[in-house]
Amino acid sequence: MVELRLPRNSEIGKGKTYPAPAGAKNVRTFRVYRWTPDDDKNPVVDSYEVDLDTIGPMVLDAIIHIKNDVDPTLTFRRSCREGICGSCAMNIDGENTLACLKPIKDIKGDVRIYPLPHMPIVKDLVSNLDGAYAQLRAINPWLQSDSAPPPDAERKQSIEERAKLDGMWECILCFCCTTSCPSYWWNGDKYLGPAVLLAAYRWIADSRDEHTGDRLDGLEDTFKLYACRTIMNCTQTCPKGLNPAKAIGRIKELQIERKV
Amino acid sequence: MTDSAPHIEVMRSQLGRARGLGAGGSGTGHWWAERVTAASLLPLSTWFIVQMFRLGGADHAEVVKWGGKPVNATMLTALIITTFYHAQLGLQVIVDDYVHGKAHLPTRILVKLVTSLLGLLGVFAVIKLVAAGNRRS
Amino acid sequence: MQDIRKALYVGTRSDGRLIQRPMSPHLQIYRYRLSMVLSISNRLTGVAATGGAALGVFWLAAAAKGPKAFATARKVTGNPAGQLLLVGWLASVVYHTVGGIRHLIWDSGKRYDKEELNKDGPVAVGVTAGVSTVLAAGLLGVAAKRARAVAKAGKAS
Repeated sequence: MVELRLPRNSEIGKGKTYPAPAGAKNVRTFRVYRWTPDDDKNPVVDSYEVDLDTIGPMVLDAIIHIKNDVDPTLTFRRSCREGICGSCAMNIDGENTLACLKPIKDIKGDVRIYPLPHMPIVKDLVSNLDGAYAQLRAINPWLQSDSAPPPDAERKQSIEERAKLDGMWECILCFCCTTSCPSYWWNGDKYLGPAVLLAAYRWIADSRDEHTGDRLDGLEDTFKLYACRTIMNCTQTCPKGLNPAKAIGRIKELQIERKV
Repeated sequence: MTDSAPHIEVMRSQLGRARGLGAGGSGTGHWWAERVTAASLLPLSTWFIVQMFRLGGADHAEVVKWGGKPVNATMLTALIITTFYHAQLGLQVIVDDYVHGKAHLPTRILVKLVTSLLGLLGVFAVIKLVAAGNRRS
Repeated sequence: MQDIRKALYVGTRSDGRLIQRPMSPHLQIYRYRLSMVLSISNRLTGVAATGGAALGVFWLAAAAKGPKAFATARKVTGNPAGQLLLVGWLASVVYHTVGGIRHLIWDSGKRYDKEELNKDGPVAVGVTAGVSTVLAAGLLGVAAKRARAVAKAGKAS
């Protein structure tokens, strides 16, 4: 049976509280998930009281401040701090998003920060995404074309053909959507998840690609594609405003078109 | 994902694991059938609710007379078959989602069996009503 | 095939010893948006509607079996607990139908955008509540009216 609760070693305990510096006026509490492999203990949630007047506007600014000035053991991924690398994907205020794009002022009350849901934890907010990356590789996310490209030019696309890729090429593979999906939580070993299916449709919809049928064959499966139950968490949560659910719907339409 | 002493059972590459046994080659049929039965159920269940307005609180003789009419019997049979076929498809999906491991296949078969038997019971009840209606007239 | 994710849960400590990684919280922390609640509701009402359909078949079978069996069935459908069950069945069918229509709309490629999803959700709830109430009141009213008529006819004779 599916396990709706957390395993025993994953139950979350109470952590430490780091009080705000004396004289701080604009204080917010950041409740952050912590786990380290080195102390044989369960995860905990630590509370950091942060003076918002001394930091930038985004949640990422707050956790960078915590790491730099309060608790250097806090571990998370971040790089570009402008929503294009996808590193700082995490669960903030109950929904998956990029810490660098999430304004603190949009959150009421304490800021609750957890890693991407239902994932193996490497340390603190860093989850193991190897499985999702391998699923991406398994759909061959590159142009597959057997005819030789023109010797003196690129493969051509009409303006209309190119427009079909809008809303998909923008995906930065942060896996916010995939890890927001209950269907992926329960069957992520077999279901490809919204991010990978969006990537799959990006190549199915590409007029230059010559393996459209093979790609559809690869998705013709009760789980890989059809474990999408249109729960819509993916579309609700995408920090880039993309629509994975719609892309999955398009793949289903094409499967119907060639079968029925 | 157990608490027993951790060790790596599978050293297969991530890509090998992700590809797994490959695509099963089906899924569209099941999905499409779910949609077709859903769409068919819209008029059929509307018809049934209208009938219930006529039959609410009816006694046995009235129900037998109603069920014995050819049009009612036809609509009822169509409703019953479509309902339990749709239920079968839907419940199988739920089993796929929540029942993992060894129990998966037996549960799937059980769902198929129970929904089929319920559908058959309904169909034979209608046949009996038609037969009873004939005897009366 | 075993769950391929199992191996992803084996990590190493700084000293090289293997360790079981925890699973990050999911249902425990995720925000229950209306769209998510309506999605699981569609599934739950589907199961409830199936249960109701099974009862409906038993009712039909009782009618087919004869007056005695049908009288027993009426004891169930006639008493308040039974009628509550019937209303629950009706509401489940109504919501599952509304949810199903939304699915059919999505499948035809429409109303997928976030704004549309969040607009349609409350409408689905409203339509379900309205239609269920009207149908339940109507059906219970019809049944009660007929029961009164039967009782009157019984007294007169």
